[in-house]
Amino acid sequence: MTLFGTKKYTGFVMTALLALILFSAPAFAAEKSIDDRVNEIAYHLMCPVCQGQSVAESNSNLANDMRMIIRKQLEEGKTNQEVLDYFVKRYGDSILSSPPTKGINWLLWIMPGVAVALGAVGIALFLHKSKRPEDEAEFIAAAPEKESEDEYLKKVDEELKKYE
Amino acid sequence: MNIVNSIIKFGVLAVIILILAVLGYALFGDRDLTKTSPLIGKEAPGFTIKLYDGKRITSEELKGKTVLLNFWASWCTPCRQEAPALEEAWQKYKDMNVVFLGVNVWDDNENAMAYMKKFGGEYPHGIDPEEEIQVNFGIGGVPETYFIDETGKIRDKYNGPLTRDIIDYYLERAMKPEEQTS
Repeated sequence: MTLFGTKKYTGFVMTALLALILFSAPAFAAEKSIDDRVNEIAYHLMCPVCQGQSVAESNSNLANDMRMIIRKQLEEGKTNQEVLDYFVKRYGDSILSSPPTKGINWLLWIMPGVAVALGAVGIALFLHKSKRPEDEAEFIAAAPEKESEDEYLKKVDEELKKYE
Repeated sequence: MNIVNSIIKFGVLAVIILILAVLGYALFGDRDLTKTSPLIGKEAPGFTIKLYDGKRITSEELKGKTVLLNFWASWCTPCRQEAPALEEAWQKYKDMNVVFLGVNVWDDNENAMAYMKKFGGEYPHGIDPEEEIQVNFGIGGVPETYFIDETGKIRDKYNGPLTRDIIDYYLERAMKPEEQTS
């Protein structure tokens, strides 16, 4: 009885623990540390005084100041978007490492897809066009070969008849 | 057949030109390239500067005055280049309800003090102890100068070393009501 009771109790505890782990795992996964969020935002910002480096990658004084401000604002409870907006307000859209999908900028996002699609159509057209003459050539090349083969066999037959 | 080929070639060329035109417009067409800062025309960010004479000055105290806010560093050669023009202009405007304020950034104190003695002139200089003013104002380097009007609105920003003519031009714009300058 005691053993059964213990087993039952253990089973209940194990189930509860499993449920706790399963339900709390997404919450732990979703919650990022301040450091991770600072890096995430810093990668979305270009360093204004560097050549093609993000704020996360640069060691310039300005990038250091910017990282410090990102951290401070996150600690104050601002969202990632609010922090990004703060920098856009001061430096303009060009501070962002990828252009925002607003106004005419959306074209920048769809153009690579359109270019790939057009390229695929172009390649398909080219292949389609270049295959046809090849088939014709094969047909043309094959026909005389058969003819000459027949003539050759005919001649062989004629020669053989002479010796019959 | 030749006509069809020509039409296809023309079509491909037209599509390529269209894509390049659209990309060019997307990259450069919808931008105001004449503005040196998105803050122009907006309320200047608030600040508190700790001056080298020990006093503090806040943006609130400067309301009602035209402000020339100049960012500099001791290691910056163009800052040395513009220093005489700033001092000359300060002597001209100091009795005209204009405040010149030098803000030292990305520097060490000793070098900044040595620079001040040699190039600083008579107008006040200081630092932001929080080291936030440079980002709050969207600074990308030194020297950079903001011209703020009496209402506290940023009227212009100049990137690079100032000359007397440049200072006169922007200060006179900042001293006039906005409607007269736009």
